Order: sequence, then structure tokens, then C-alpha cells
Amino acid sequence: MEVTLAYALILVPIACAAIVGFSPSPLAKWIGTFGAFATLAVAMLFAWTFPHWTDGLFAPTNDATSWFSAMGVSISLGADSVALLLILMTTFLMPLILIGSFTSINERVKEYYFWFLLLEASMLGAFLARDAVLFFVSYEFTMIPMFFLIANWGGLQRRQAAVKYVLYSFGGGILTLVGLLYVAMKMHAATGEWNFGIGPMTEFCSTTLPASEQVWVFILLMAGFAVKIPLVPLHTWLPLVHDQAPTGGSVILAGTLLKLGTFGEFRIALPMAPIGGVEWNFVLAVLCLIGIVAAALICWVQHDAKKLVAYSSVTHIAFCMLGMFSLNSIGVTGSVMYMISHGLSTGALFLCIGMVYERYHTKDMDELGGLYRRMPIWSFFMVFFALASLGLPGLNGFPGEFYCLVGAFIAEDTAATGYPGLMGPWFAIIAGLGLIAAAMYLLMLVGRLVWGPLREPGAHDKDHAHTSHHAPTSALPVDIGAREIGILLPLAIACLVLGLYPEPMFKAIEPSVKNMLKPYPALVERYIRDGTLLNDETETANSPFADATQK
Amino acid sequence: MLNFSLLADATDHAAATAIGVIQPAVDAPDLKWAGLIIGLPALSALLCTICGAMRVRSKLPAFITIVALIGSFVLTCMLFQQLGQGAPRVVGLFEWMSFSWGNADRFQSFSAPFALYVDSLTLFWMLFVTGLGSLIAIYASEYMESDVGKGYTRFFGGVSVFLAAMATLVMASNLVVLYLGWEGVGLASYLLIGYYYSKPSAVAAAKKAFIMNRIGDLGLALGISLIWVNYGTVDYATLFSVLEAGPTAGHGDWMPGAIPFLLMLGAFGKSAQIPLFTWLPDAMEGPTPVSALIHAATMVTAGVYLIARMYPLFALHEDALATVAWVGGLTAFVAATIGMAQYDMKRVWAYSTISQLGYMFLGLGVGTTFGAGYHVFTHAFFKALLFLTAGAVMHGFAGQIDIRKLSGLRKVPGFRLVSYLALLGCLWLSALPFSAAFFSKDTILTAALGSERSDFQFLGWLGLLTAGITAYYTFRVWFRTFAGPVHFEAGDDQHDAHDDTHDAHHAPVAGLSLGAKHDFHPHGPRWAIRIPLILIAIGAVAAGWPAYNVLFFHGENWVQTMIAHSSAVAGSGEVHGQDVLGLSAHLMTSIVGSAACVIGIGIAFWMHLADRSAADRVRGALRGFILTRWIPTTLENRWYVDEIYHMMFRLPLWAGSHILHFFDKTVVDGFLVDGTGRVPVAVARLFQPLYNGVLQGYAATMAGGFVLIAGWVFWIWLRGNG
Amino acid sequence: MTELLATYDASSVNAALLTSSLLFGIGLVGFLSRRNMIVMFLCTELMFQGAALAMIAFGRVHGNPDGQTFVIFILTIAAAEAALALGLVVLLYRRRETLDSEAWSELKEC
Repeated sequence: MEVTLAYALILVPIACAAIVGFSPSPLAKWIGTFGAFATLAVAMLFAWTFPHWTDGLFAPTNDATSWFSAMGVSISLGADSVALLLILMTTFLMPLILIGSFTSINERVKEYYFWFLLLEASMLGAFLARDAVLFFVSYEFTMIPMFFLIANWGGLQRRQAAVKYVLYSFGGGILTLVGLLYVAMKMHAATGEWNFGIGPMTEFCSTTLPASEQVWVFILLMAGFAVKIPLVPLHTWLPLVHDQAPTGGSVILAGTLLKLGTFGEFRIALPMAPIGGVEWNFVLAVLCLIGIVAAALICWVQHDAKKLVAYSSVTHIAFCMLGMFSLNSIGVTGSVMYMISHGLSTGALFLCIGMVYERYHTKDMDELGGLYRRMPIWSFFMVFFALASLGLPGLNGFPGEFYCLVGAFIAEDTAATGYPGLMGPWFAIIAGLGLIAAAMYLLMLVGRLVWGPLREPGAHDKDHAHTSHHAPTSALPVDIGAREIGILLPLAIACLVLGLYPEPMFKAIEPSVKNMLKPYPALVERYIRDGTLLNDETETANSPFADATQK
Repeated sequence: MLNFSLLADATDHAAATAIGVIQPAVDAPDLKWAGLIIGLPALSALLCTICGAMRVRSKLPAFITIVALIGSFVLTCMLFQQLGQGAPRVVGLFEWMSFSWGNADRFQSFSAPFALYVDSLTLFWMLFVTGLGSLIAIYASEYMESDVGKGYTRFFGGVSVFLAAMATLVMASNLVVLYLGWEGVGLASYLLIGYYYSKPSAVAAAKKAFIMNRIGDLGLALGISLIWVNYGTVDYATLFSVLEAGPTAGHGDWMPGAIPFLLMLGAFGKSAQIPLFTWLPDAMEGPTPVSALIHAATMVTAGVYLIARMYPLFALHEDALATVAWVGGLTAFVAATIGMAQYDMKRVWAYSTISQLGYMFLGLGVGTTFGAGYHVFTHAFFKALLFLTAGAVMHGFAGQIDIRKLSGLRKVPGFRLVSYLALLGCLWLSALPFSAAFFSKDTILTAALGSERSDFQFLGWLGLLTAGITAYYTFRVWFRTFAGPVHFEAGDDQHDAHDDTHDAHHAPVAGLSLGAKHDFHPHGPRWAIRIPLILIAIGAVAAGWPAYNVLFFHGENWVQTMIAHSSAVAGSGEVHGQDVLGLSAHLMTSIVGSAACVIGIGIAFWMHLADRSAADRVRGALRGFILTRWIPTTLENRWYVDEIYHMMFRLPLWAGSHILHFFDKTVVDGFLVDGTGRVPVAVARLFQPLYNGVLQGYAATMAGGFVLIAGWVFWIWLRGNG
Repeated sequence: MTELLATYDASSVNAALLTSSLLFGIGLVGFLSRRNMIVMFLCTELMFQGAALAMIAFGRVHGNPDGQTFVIFILTIAAAEAALALGLVVLLYRRRETLDSEAWSELKEC
């Protein structure tokens, strides 16, 4: 049953995409939206029947269709609770995005919905894949629909943005592929057979591969994910792409595509090469800190609302990764929780900005202001999602953020806290400064767009505002209408519910986190003790999967 | 009859023994209805949002909020009736942020359920929070009536959110739920300060308040993490029982001394002490009921509550309480000096709030949580009274609040009650002998003056000086505004938060009138404003009852008893201390304090009523003499603290951000990324001349390539054979 | 037959190879330096002949008829290719009214 549902999750969007391709243009958006809802229904059914919410195992298992059997490549699908939560978030966002695009996409409508459904299928494939090649193919395939989405329906510099996005992602992806192939080749050399399953590869690489090789494998694997996450300094594609992409593209980019990178980190890079994970930990944590603080300050001086939210994505995701690199249960659980909440709140912010853009055709905060007067309902949602993004307790940003902070704080290199790690209080303090900066730039955004005297593009100054202001010229109502409220309200409710009752999610996430972190405590302790992990080239006896002791 | 000796009994108080006196908590699932104290305002907030969505244009939101708040107050009273001063009760409501990842060991789980911890400190706080909240909501229903249909719903939604969050903060059973309430009140404060959203100054003030609070919140968050690391719990009941076993139970040796300082930082941010105090005067941009409720009576006391609640932890570092005392004492003095030179009545009361909060922290620091708690209680009433009377004046005079433009208001018809109630508030603020505030301030200063530490004694004297200054600036305001010849100028109608039609034409600076408006008749407040004022005034007087009970009836001080049964028990002993200059500390404080009050009022009388030009002459004299020239301008400019912060923090951050942005765009993106993209293009251009489209060129290339390969083969053959 | 051809006269083979390389060289140089398409084609024919001569010489060295067989192939292919090439030259001439190969240099990197 689960197998059917898993396949359905990927095939339903593809089928609907095909139907959209062949259907007449006016029906395209309805069929496309129906397809997104159908996928959501399948995902919810999958979640309902999922048996492994609290034990970190995968379902379905042991059912693989052979693809290139000579090379050990198979189409094997399986989700654990973390992957399933990300799948639910994606399928939840999709219909909202498609409904939100009804009025903003007016040319080549069929293609738009076609590409979106294909994008959804490939993202779900990446989350479900239990085979490295399938994962890589799905992961890289997401570039193709995104390329077309940006290049066809984007802003003025859309072509450059799309090309940059593809080249950058692809460049990183190639390095990841090299890493995966290296591991597979080593496995073949050791065992005599090819197997690209993620489980077997992880087991082999983390236990058998020598330390010096694991270090390089980790960096190779990380390269692709680091570009996607994006980790400073590989982040500069994100503001450009967000600026040029259509609203729907931005939402799915911030909502799910960035999470593909963090998910890859969680599922592949960190488990496969734990020695590399520990050796590079300090450098990566420092990069995260730089990302948190520098990107937040850069947000503060932006003039364009969308670029501001794009840089805020950089800083939020850096915070999320800081939690992940803390290598303890609290931090990594907080990190996964943060991934999910960030998708919802930042996605919603992009939707809100998109609604303003549709009406005024500008995102420049110097031209727009005080929109509460014109659009009170929109303003409510804008302030709400800004507060969720800032991590206000009671909304969804807080649990993840708080646990990431605590995780970083306790990951000290003395044994004093019982959670050895390579970070410590100073990391938490500097990351906390990022929280203060988050308040600065988000309140600046809200203070300019929502509060203050009314400014609309085309109006010269306040005195003329009430006689000759240029009301929004599109056919949309001045304030957001029922359709737009219909897409923002579920997001708001989700934010509130996750903020007030995150506990089921914690219970679901924690077992997977525990499995992922199994090899780490011993390695971290050894690293702290010896200063390096590269001193034991031939050590294979230290098999972290064998002993399940953990602090 | 009068029995000073009773007030002069002393008990030794040390943190270690005090912990043993904190009663262990008892689970009380039957008290789940107490959750409605938080639930009712939360429900009211939701209903106000729905009213807003449905564009309700009546006073319904006010009605909903008032009913909810009165309901909360009634429930609090019921809870008090039922529990009084018994053991603390823990009431679990629902699971919030709890999960465990190992065995059930404390250090392998993080447990922060949404639960209530009800002890006498909680009840004490909640009584005046809900009581004053209800009264101020009633007041605001009339005060804000010019905004009905425009911002009325938003206002009452904000007030409901505030009360729900404040209740969460006070009734929380663990630090994370406290943090939830903490940030929640910050949110409500942001929304309500920015109520007049079309004024850029209001928007900026709201932002400033939130960000400064956030700086403190970071300290609190780190403190919570540190507490969890050391004691494995953030829950009060468990924490106190762990501490009882000794300060190093569990892992408790990882920077435990930093805990009080981090908590302190949070408290200073929320309660506007040095260095995080400049947001409070700016917060006066909000409507006056907001200033009264949030920035005088309730939210700003959250810092005091935090330290009182976590009092046993402040024994973890020997300098922690001393730091609190110093910050409190200095803030009290500095804020009072600034209050002497402000012209906006609300600003004066704002600095006065900062100053009085300083007294409360001084009390906590010198070891009398009783004094601090009592002062919180009395201050809540008289400060709310002062703000609300200022609001009544604003309401009647179209937003005028500049004391230079108002005079003799007690003779204006409709304002007599307001004026005399304001007089009551002023007398209480000046700690008139035998007023409630006199006793509360007295307790604090006695503890300071009579302390064994000389730096606390210094703070005690400073506090007495500050009391004199307080009396002066308070009556400066009262004599200027409510006494003297009748004169007034109308203000700018600051009430109206609606559209730009007015704002575009009016200069939005407070107090700048457009000249006398024709036929301006100030309208006195009606009953929805008057009744709360009267009730609060009665409360202010009645707040002295606990002390009268001790003094005249040999009974016990209710406040002291309430605090003694809570986690702040360490400081709830009687205060007496050493003798000072031959007299008992208590007598010395009473005498000097009363003298300071009378002298302060006297000077104010001379300079602001008897001979109003005296103030200008004094100012001129100060400016004339070279050593004192800086005094008047510095005080008027609030010690330039805002400007200093701007120079020290905002400007470098702004410059740094621009540099980072430039670096990101030009170096990282332009040079590294795009540069990498240009390398293949450059290499291609290098070989471009080979592809010139001419046939022979290609042939030549082929020939040349062939020659190279042939030569290479030949060379290898040579090497093989040579 | 094989005994008769088993030994070969090195100097005459060398002379043949020298001639063949001369022919090839002249053809190459001519191809690279002339612009007239027909002349360029003539030069390619020369290069062919040079290669053919080299084939014959090496056939003599190995003492079997393979070299000469290959020459027959070369001549046939050269003839077929000549027909094709001259046909293309005629077409190209009709397009641009000139036999200058510079007229056809658009397939270049800009």
C-alpha cells in the first residue's frame, strides 16, 4: 500500500502535467491546480498510513524496481518521518502557489502549470529516493523546470538569472555526483558488486572508508548541497534569482528547493562521511555564523522588498544549518523543525510581496509605503508572517530557532555540558545577535511597507495623495480578495498551530535525528581529545553503527 | 499605636537558607479553569480580529475586551480565595515544547509544557495586573472613542493580546513559557505604540522598543539555555528542588555564575533600566491608556517579576545582586534628573517610571524583595493614575500635553476631579509621609541605608536625593499644569489615527498648536473615564493598608506575607539594618525622606507657582556660570544617550551593512562568481583567432597538429632507440 | 615471384619516397597559399599522388602487391572525389560569382 502511494506521489503530478500539456489553455490552470490538490491528497493519505512516525524507520522498504541492474541502480523509494514532513510541506505549498498564480500568469499558461507539476514530481522524487542515482537525478532535474519558470515568466534580467542558477547548481551538483561515484566505486572495489542504495552506501562509507578519504568525500558531497542551501559564500545566486523569478517560483524556491540542500546534507552528506563532518565542522559553523550576521545586516540596507526577503532566507537557512552542525539531538531537531517552519513563513512572505507587486508593479520600498490604509487585510497577514519569520514565540519560527540556539550553545568542546561539540556559547551569542538583526530588518520591512504615511508609485507627495493617487491599475481588488485570503489563511493557521503545538513534530523528527547522529558523539570526543581524526588511517574497527551507546 | 519597633525587626536572609523555605509545588489538575485567566483575553483577541475582519464599527471590541478582562480579574480573585498563601500549585494545560531523546534523565530531555505555577507571588502580581487592566480598558473605551470604526478594534485587539501575554508571563510554570509571554508583551507593545501608524515617529518608536527589548531577550534566552545545561530543567518547581540539593547538583558547574547576569540583562531590557532604557520615553507615542497599562503598571514590571521569581539563582554569583542594586540606583537618579527638564507631561511620567523602576531594582539588589514588590504594587496604582489623568487632559484639550501651554486646569469646568486625582497621584509619587508609596519606598531605602555594605549605603543616600528630585519634578508638573492662572492652548488632535487627510495638512509635532482655534471648548471627561480614575485612586490609597495594618494594628503586612510564601522569600524579611549616624536606619530614612519630599515640593512651589519666572532665572543663572553651563542643556537633551547610542551602534552598523553589501555584490558575486564565469569565455577568446572561417587556416591548423604529433612520435622513437 | 622481390634496392626506394614527399609538400604548400578553389583542388590531387607514390614505394619494401592495390583504390576515390568537389565548386561559383575561397568565411567565431 505504501509502495503504491509512494509511486503515486511521483506519478500523479507527472500524469497531471501531461494532461495539462494536452488540454486547452483556459482549462490549464484548473487542471494544474487539481493536480496539485490530488498530490496533496495522496501525500496526506501516505502520511495517514505511515507506520513509522516515531521510530525513524523508512517506509516502504525492500521494494525496489531495478533500473540499471548491472550498475546496481534501482528505483527504490522510501520516506522516513523527516522526509515525510518535508513532502507534506511541499504538497501543502503547491496548490497555494498555483491558486496564487491565477491572475499573475497570463501568457503561456499551460507551460507554467506543466513545469510546476513536473517540478513537484522531481522534488518529491528527491525526498523519497533511497537510491543515490535516483536522488541525484531528481535533485538535478528540478533545475530544468526552474530554468524555464524563471526564464519565461521572470523579471527584466530573467535570462541571466536563469542561466546563473543552472550553471551554479549544476556545477555544485557535478561535484556531488563525483563524491557519490567515488563511494560507489570504493564499494565495488571492496565488495565486488555495484550498489547505489543510500542505506548501503552510508553504511559502507561511514564504517569502512579511511579517514583521509572521508574528509574529501564529505566536501565533494557538500559542494552541491552547499550551493543549494545556500551556504555563504556560495549564496550570491539566491538574491538575483529571487528578484527575477515570478512569485510562484520564489515561493517554491524558498519553500522547498532550499530544503533539498539541507535535506541532502541531513540524509546524505552528514551520515555518509561522519569523519569529514567532524573535521570540517568548525569551518562550516563559522561560515554559518558569517551568513547569519552578514546576510542579516545586508538585509537591513536593502531597498527592494523581495531582495530583502531573499537575503533573509540566507540568514535563516544559515541559522538552520548552525543547528545542524551542532551535532547534538537538540540542535539537529531544531534544525529540521526550522526547515519546515521557514518554508511556510518565508513562502508566505513572498506570496504577500507578490500580491503587492501584482497591484503596483513595483517592489521598491522607496516607492511604496503605508499600505495599511489601502490594504488592511493584507497588512495583517504581512505583519503576521513577518513576526513568524522573526521567531516570535507562539508562532512557528520559535521552536526551531530556540532549539538551534540551545544546541549551538551546549555544543562545547569541554565535557561540561554532556554534549560534546565544536561550537559553544560564543556561537550562540553571535547567532543571537543575528536574531536581533532579524528584528531590525523585518520591522524595517513592515515599518516601510505597512506602516507610515501612504506612498504609492506615481503619487508625488502626501498632499496630493488623496486627490490624484494612482490607484492600482490591474483588475484586482484594492485589498486582497477571497482567493488570496484563501491561500494566506491556511498558511497563517499552520504557522499558529505549529507554534503552539510543535510537540508532535518533535516526536516525529527526533528518532530520525537520533539515527543520523549515531556515529557522531564518539567521533567528536575523539576529535576533541586528539585534535584531528586523521591519525588512524586503517581504523575500521571503530564501527559506529555497531555500538549504539550514546550520551 | 505607632510601633516603629515592629517595623524594625530584622531577619537574616541568605539564599541558601531561603531555598529551603520555598515550598515544593503540588500538582493541581483541578485548577485547570485557571487557564481561562489567560484564555479569556486570548479569546477576546481572536474575537477582536474577527470584528476587524467583519469591519465592525461600534464599540463592540471594547465591550468584549472589558468583559474578558473583568472575567480574568474575577477568576484571579477566586483563585486567590482558594489558594491564598498555600503551597504553589502547578496546573498543566497542554504539552508545548517538550521532547526527550534518551532515557528519562533530566539532561536528555527538554520539558517546557504550557503549564501554570500559581503561588502567592503569581497571585499578587495577577491581582493588580488584571484589576488595573480591566479599569484601564473601561477608561480606554471612552478615551479612544474618536477612533471607533477606524482603529478601535485594532486597539482593543492589542490590549487583549497584551493581557493574555502578561498573564502567560506571570503564571508560567517554566522559563520557556515565561519567554513566550515575555515576547508576547513585547509584540503587544509594538502593535500599540505603533497604533498611530501614519506618524513616522510612532512607527520608529515601536521598532525601537521591540529591538531594544530583543537585546534583553537574547540575554534571557541564553540564560534559559544555561539554566537547562546546569540543572537539566527550566521548570520552576523542579529547579527550586534541584537548587535545594545544593548549587552544584547535576552539571551545575558550567558557568553558573553567568546565569544571573544574563537574566538581569533581560530584566533591564524589559524594565527600561540602564543601558536599555531609551525606548520607554519614545513609547509615549502610543495612546495614553497604553502608556498607563503597559509602560507604567504592568509590562515594565516584568523585569522585577523575573528577578523576584528567580531570586534563588541570584545567589550563584556574589556580585549579581550588587549589580542589580547599582544599576537600579543609578537609573533612578539619572532618570529623575532627566525628568526635571522635560516639557511633555507624558515624557516626565515616563522618566519617572524608569526612575521608580530603578528603586524597585535597588530594592531587589539590596535584598528586600518585599520592598520591591510593595513598591511595584503601589507604583502601579499611582503611576496609572498619573498617566490616566494626563490622558484625560489630552482627551479634553485635543492632544495638548505640553506643560508650557497648560495652566490652572483645576479651575476649568469638568477638570476638577481630574486635577485633584492627579494631585493624589503626585503626592504618592513624591512619597508623602504616611502615603502607601512612602512605606514602600521607605522599605527599600532603609534596607539600602542600613546595609553593611558601604556601596549600598551610598545608594541609599543617592536614593534619598533622588526622592527629593522626584518630589520636585512631580510638583513642577502639577503646579504648572493644574495650578496658577487659567490658560490653555489646544493641541493637534493626536487621537485620530485614521487617514492622511488630516496628517497631510497638520504638523505632527506634539504640542505645536496652530494658534488658538476658534471657539475651542475643552470637554471634561465623562463617567467611563472618571470612574476608573476614582477606583484607581482608591486603590492607591488602599495600597497603604498593609503598612497601616502593621503600624497601627500590630498585624502583618499582606504584601510581605504574599512574597514570603513564594520563591522570593529570601528577601521578604523585615528590614532594619544597621544604625545610621546614631539613629536606626528606619528612622533616618523616614525623617530624611520626608524632609526631601517637603523640600522638593517647596522648591517646586517657589519656581513653578509662586513665581513662575524663577525657573527661567535659575536656568539663566546656571547657564551663566561656566561650571554649570552644561547642566540645563544636557538634562533637556536627556544626557544625549540617544545620540550616543546612535553614534556607537546605529551608525557603525549602518556603515558596516553597506560595506558588507558592497563586498557581497562586488567581490563575492562580481569578482568570484561572475569572474569564474568569465574564465571560460577568456580562454575561448584566446583561441578565437584560429577560427577565422578561412579554409586554409583550418588546413594549416590540421597540418600543424599533424606535425606536432609526428614529431612527438619521432621523439619517442628516438628516445626508445637512443 | 617472391624471391625476385625479396630484396629491394634501398636507394631507389628512398628516391621514390623523396619524390612522394616532395609531391605532397608541394601540394600542401600550394593548398595553403592559393586562393583559387580549382587550384586548391589541384593541389589536393597532388597530395593524393604523393601519397600514392609513397604507397608504391612501401609496397616495394614489403615485396607484396598490397601497396599497388591500395594505389588503385586511391586513384578511384580521387576521381570520385574530384567529381564531387568540382561539382561543389561550380555550385559555389554560381552563388558568389567568384572562385575565391575567401568569399566563404562566415563559419567563424565572432
